[in-house]
Amino acid sequence: MAKGGLTSRILTPERKLSLQVFFSNKLAVVGLIIVLAYVADALIVQFAPWLIGLKHPFEVIPDYSNPVPQPPSWKHPLGTTYPGIDLLRAVVKAIRFDLGLSVVIVVPGALLGIVIGIVATYFGGWVDDVLMRLTDIFFSVPYLVLAIAIGYALGRNITSMVIALIIVWWPLYARYTRSVTLQVKELTFIEAARAAGASNYKIMFRHILPNALPPVLVQMSMDLGTIMLTISGLAFIGFLPVANIPELGYLTTLGLNYINTAPWTVIVPGVFIVIFAVSVYLLGMGLMDVINPRRRSSL
Amino acid sequence: MIIAGRNLKVYFPVKGVRGASVRAVDDVDVEVGEGEIVGLVGESGSGKTTLGRALIRLIEPTAGEVLFEIPDHDLERYDEAREREDAETMKLISSKYSALRLKGKTLKEFRRKVGIVFQDPYSSLDPRLRIADIIAEPMIETGAYDRDKAMERVIDLLEEVQLPPEFADRYPHELSGGQRQRVAIARGIATNPRFVILDEPTSALDVSVQAEILELLRELRETHKMAMLFITHNISVVSYMADRIYVMYAGKVMEKGPKAEVIRKPAHPYTQALISAVPEVGRQMRRVVLKGDVPSLVSPPKGCRFHPRCPVAIATCGWTADEVAEALRRVLEARYPELSQRARLRPLGELELEVKGLSAPELKDVVERESEFNRALKSIQSVSEEGGRVMVRLTKYSEPHMVEVARGHLAACHLLSASS
Amino acid sequence: MSAGREPIVTVRNLRLWYYTRRGVYKALNGVDLEVLRGEVLGVAGESGCGKSTLGLTIMGLLPRNAAIVDGEVLIDGFDVVKPLREYYKKAKRFRPNKNEDVLKRLHNEMTRIRGVKVTMVFQEPMTALNPVMPVGYQIAEVVLQHNMSLLAKRRLARARATKDDVKEALNFLRANDYAGLVEYVKAKGLEGLEDQMIAIWRRRDLHDLVKEIRVLSLCCDPVNPIIESGLRYTARTNKLPTAPVIRQLVRRELVKEGYRKAAEFLGLLGMPEPEKVVRMYPHELSGGMRQRVVIATAMINNPELVILDEPTSALDVTVQAGILELLKELKQQTNAAFIFISHDLSILYQVSDRIAIMYAGKVVEVGPRDAVFKEPKHPYTQMLMEAVPTLEPHELKGIKGEVPDLRNPPKGCMFHPRCPYAMPICREREPPMVDLGNGHKVACWLYSGGERK
Repeated sequence: MAKGGLTSRILTPERKLSLQVFFSNKLAVVGLIIVLAYVADALIVQFAPWLIGLKHPFEVIPDYSNPVPQPPSWKHPLGTTYPGIDLLRAVVKAIRFDLGLSVVIVVPGALLGIVIGIVATYFGGWVDDVLMRLTDIFFSVPYLVLAIAIGYALGRNITSMVIALIIVWWPLYARYTRSVTLQVKELTFIEAARAAGASNYKIMFRHILPNALPPVLVQMSMDLGTIMLTISGLAFIGFLPVANIPELGYLTTLGLNYINTAPWTVIVPGVFIVIFAVSVYLLGMGLMDVINPRRRSSL
Repeated sequence: MIIAGRNLKVYFPVKGVRGASVRAVDDVDVEVGEGEIVGLVGESGSGKTTLGRALIRLIEPTAGEVLFEIPDHDLERYDEAREREDAETMKLISSKYSALRLKGKTLKEFRRKVGIVFQDPYSSLDPRLRIADIIAEPMIETGAYDRDKAMERVIDLLEEVQLPPEFADRYPHELSGGQRQRVAIARGIATNPRFVILDEPTSALDVSVQAEILELLRELRETHKMAMLFITHNISVVSYMADRIYVMYAGKVMEKGPKAEVIRKPAHPYTQALISAVPEVGRQMRRVVLKGDVPSLVSPPKGCRFHPRCPVAIATCGWTADEVAEALRRVLEARYPELSQRARLRPLGELELEVKGLSAPELKDVVERESEFNRALKSIQSVSEEGGRVMVRLTKYSEPHMVEVARGHLAACHLLSASS
Repeated sequence: MSAGREPIVTVRNLRLWYYTRRGVYKALNGVDLEVLRGEVLGVAGESGCGKSTLGLTIMGLLPRNAAIVDGEVLIDGFDVVKPLREYYKKAKRFRPNKNEDVLKRLHNEMTRIRGVKVTMVFQEPMTALNPVMPVGYQIAEVVLQHNMSLLAKRRLARARATKDDVKEALNFLRANDYAGLVEYVKAKGLEGLEDQMIAIWRRRDLHDLVKEIRVLSLCCDPVNPIIESGLRYTARTNKLPTAPVIRQLVRRELVKEGYRKAAEFLGLLGMPEPEKVVRMYPHELSGGMRQRVVIATAMINNPELVILDEPTSALDVTVQAGILELLKELKQQTNAAFIFISHDLSILYQVSDRIAIMYAGKVVEVGPRDAVFKEPKHPYTQMLMEAVPTLEPHELKGIKGEVPDLRNPPKGCMFHPRCPYAMPICREREPPMVDLGNGHKVACWLYSGGERK
C-alpha cells in the first residue's frame, strides 16, 4: 500500500480510478468544462465584477436611446435586445443569477428530502407510511399552480418562486433517498452497528447517509439543469413582475415582439439555458459512471 | 450459564395475510455456559440464524425469555417452576436476569457484554469507515471506553487477530476476505464480551483461510474465556469447534448434547440423515435417505416437524388425513393402476379419511405392503366398512418431547420415548 | 461406463489475461489439461485460482475484456480460442471492443457446439432459470433450439403407430432389447417412438404395470393433416416451416411435445410427479428441484461434455447429497464427460474419476482420484487436504499468507512465497509438469527429474 506522502494519501488508488473512469468519458468532460465555465462566471460576477468591467452586476441596464434590437457586431458581440440591452453582458449577469437561484433551490430541497427519506425508511412502520404519504401529497402538486398560489399570497417575487420550487422539489429527493436507503438498510454492517449499541440517530447519519449519498449527489447535480429550465420557464410566463432582472427566461421575453426581425434576441438567452441543462446532464452521467462499481472494474 | 433462552419464539408476520406468520423459531430452549462453545447446526430454514439474533436482541423475540448471567441453581429453579407452571416464581427469576427487559443504560451494558461476528465479510463492514473506526464503534457506543482509549485498544485488538497495526487506517475494500473477517472478529470481541455469537463466520472463506480463522477463534476462547455460540450449516466445522451441539430443523431443536455423542451416536433420524449426507474424502457416501425439502414455516407439519421426510416415522409422529390421502393417492397411481382408477379419497377432518371405490380388504392389503416405504400409512389405526364406504381412522399424534438418551444428550423423537 | 482413452477437450498452455481499470489480471498462466471421454474430472481450487474462468473459456463465454494471450482449447479438434488468440497476437494494443467483435463471431461458430455438444450448469439455479416461464418450457426450449426434428418425429410416430405396433414394441422393452427396438421402429417408419418408450421404461418410480400402460398409450394419436405436413418438414430439415400460419401451429405442437419430453426426462432424473412440475414456475420449486431442472436443460440433448461450476454450493447438505447421487447415476447411464468445478474437496472425492488442483491460474497437480487424494504430491495439495475439517476432528492447519495478486504474480513457481519447501530454483523458474506414472502429474521442483528430493 502507498507509503506516506501527502499526494498518495489524497490520491488513493480508488480516487485515481475515479478520475480515470470520469475522464475516459469525453462527453462528461465536455459537460464538466462548460459547467465550470458557468460556475466561474457566477463567481466572478458575484465577487469581482470589476474584473470583467461590469458596473452593474446585479441588474440589466436598458438604453432607451437605442431600443431597437441590433444584430451581433463588434460592439455587441451577441447583439442587443429591446430596449437596448447588450446581450453579452446581460447573459453573463443572468448566468450568475440563474445558477445561484438553482443552487438555493436544490440544496435546501435536497437536504429536506434526504432527511425525510432516511428517517422514513429507517423507521418503517407508521412513520414511513405517514411521511411517504406526505411526500406523495407534495409530489402531486404541479409547480406552476403552487407558484401562482404562493405568488398570490406572498406577492410575485423571487422569494415566492424559491419557496414554491423547494416545496415541490423535496419529494423527489425523499423518494430517491428512500430507494437507496432500502438497499443500504439491508446490509449487514447496519446490523453490526446496532449490535455495537449505536443509537438510531448514529446509524442513520453515520452509516446510512454516507453510503446513500453518492447517487443522490449525482441526482442533485443533474437537477441544477432541470431547475434552471423551470425558473426560466416561470420567468418566461411573467411570474416576476420586476423589470430589468438578469434572468435568462426573462431575457427571452424581451425579444418576443421582434422574433421575426431579430431572432437572436430570443435564441441567444435560450441557447444558454439549454447548453447548461445539457452540460449538467452529461456531467451527471459521467459521475454516475464513476460511482457505478461495474464501470470501475471493466474497461 | 452465561445465557439461556427459554420457550423462545420468533414469528414474523406474513405480509397481506392476516394472522399468518412465519414461525422461524418455535418454542426453543438453548443455553451456553461460561467459556464453552456451543455449536448450532441446521440447514436453511432451521431458524438457527434467527435464534442467534434473538438471543442478543438484534431481533426481539415474539415470546419467551432470555436469561443472562444466571447462576446454574437459579436456572434450575426457573426450569422447575416452569414444570410446575408456577408463573410467580418464573416472573421473580426473570425480573432479575431477563435480558429482554433491559433498557437504556442497562441495555448498553448488555451490549457491551455480548458480541457478534457476522457471516459476510464483504457487507458486515461499513465501506465508508476506516478499520479503526469500525473496531472502535462498539467500544465507544456502549460506553466501555472513551474515544482515545478505544483507539489504543484497536491496535491491541489488531494484534490479537494477527493483523498488522497499519491496517487501522485502511478501508475495508483494501483488505482480503480473510483479513476482513479478522477485523469482524476484532470488532466482535472489542468490548471484552463474555458471550460472542458467530454466525457462519467462515462460510464465505476459502478452506485454507477458514482453518486459520478457526484456530484463531479457539485461541481467543482460551485467552479470554469467552462463551461462544457457533452457528453454521457445516457439521465438520462444528465438530472441530464445539463442546456441545444443538441440531435445529424448521424452527425447533431436534437434538442436543456433547459433540462427540451427537456426531458419533446421533439419536434423532434427522441428525442421522444430516451426518450421513456429509461428504468426506476417503469414504463413499451412503445412499441418501432424505427426500423432499424443508417445510413451510408458515404452516409447519403437525406433531414432529420432521415427520413428512422421516424414513422411520411411526403412527404418532404427526400424520394428518390430508397427508395420508396424498400418500395413498401417489402409491396407488404409481403401483396399483387398476385400484387407482376406482379409488376416491376424501379427508374428513384431521384424522378421518373416507375412501370410495375400494373394499376394506383391498385397502388393508395395500397399506400392509407399502407402509414400510410410505410411512404415512403407518398412522392408519383402523380401516372399516361403514355404509357403502370405507372409513379410515388415524392415530392421534403428539409433539415429541426431549428425551434423554445419555447424560446431557437429548433428542425429541417418539422412537426414543417409545423405547425408553 | 468405462472411460474412453480419447480426450474430448484438450487445453494446452492456456494463458488468459483480464484487462481492467485496476490493472491486468493474469487469470490463467499456462493451463495444461485433458478431459477424457466419459470421465468425471474434478477441478479443485480456492478463490482466484482460475477454475471458473477455465470453465467459461471452454464454453467460449468470455467477457470482452478477457484476452487470450496464448494457448489452445480443443474441443474435438475445434480450437475454441483461436480467433481470440490471433487477434491478441496481431493487435498492437488490446482493445476490448475489437475483442468483442471477435467474440461475437466466435459466438456464431459456437452455437452448434454449445447446448448440444458442450453444456454448462452454474452455481445459482435461481438465476439460471427464467422466473417468468414454466420450467418445462425452459427445458423444452433447449430441445427446440437444437433438435426440433426429434420432437417432430416423436409426434408423428405417435400419430402413425397402431395398437399392434406398440404391443410389439413392448415386447422388445420387456426383453430389455433396446437395440432391437430401435431397429423395429426404423423398419416401421416410426422413428421417435423409441425415444418416448425408453424414457418411460427406464423410470424407477413407476411400477412395471404402470409403465406398460403408458407405453401402450403411445399410439393412435392422430394429428391435424395441415400440421402433419409441417411436422414432416421439420422432421426432415430440423427447421420450422416458413409458411406463416402453419409455422405457428407446428411450433405450438412442438412445444407441447417438448413439455412431454421434459417431463419424461425429469422423471429419469428422479423428480417426483414430473408431469405436474413441468407446468410450475422456478419460484414454486425448492433449490434441489431447481438444480435438477437446470441439469435437465444441460443433459437433455445428450451432450458429450457437461461443465458444472459449483453446482451444489448454494444447496443444503442433504439436498446436495441427492444431487451428487444423481450425478453419479448420470455418469453411469450416459457417456458424457463431466468437468466438476468446486472448492470442496470432499464433494470432489465423491464424484471424480480424476482430479486436477489449480492454484493462481495453473494446474499444479492432476491424476486419478485415489492417487491424488491418498498421496498428494504438491505441497499446496497436501496443505489443502490438511485444512479441510472432517467429522472426526483432526488438527486443522491453514496456509499462511495470501493468494498472490494476479496483477503481479510471483516469479517462478506461483506457490513459492507460501511453500514450506521452497528452494532457490522455485523463485526463479516455473516448474514443469512431471509425470510420476499412472497419469499422476505434478508441477513442482521437488519432483523434477521424476524423483522426490
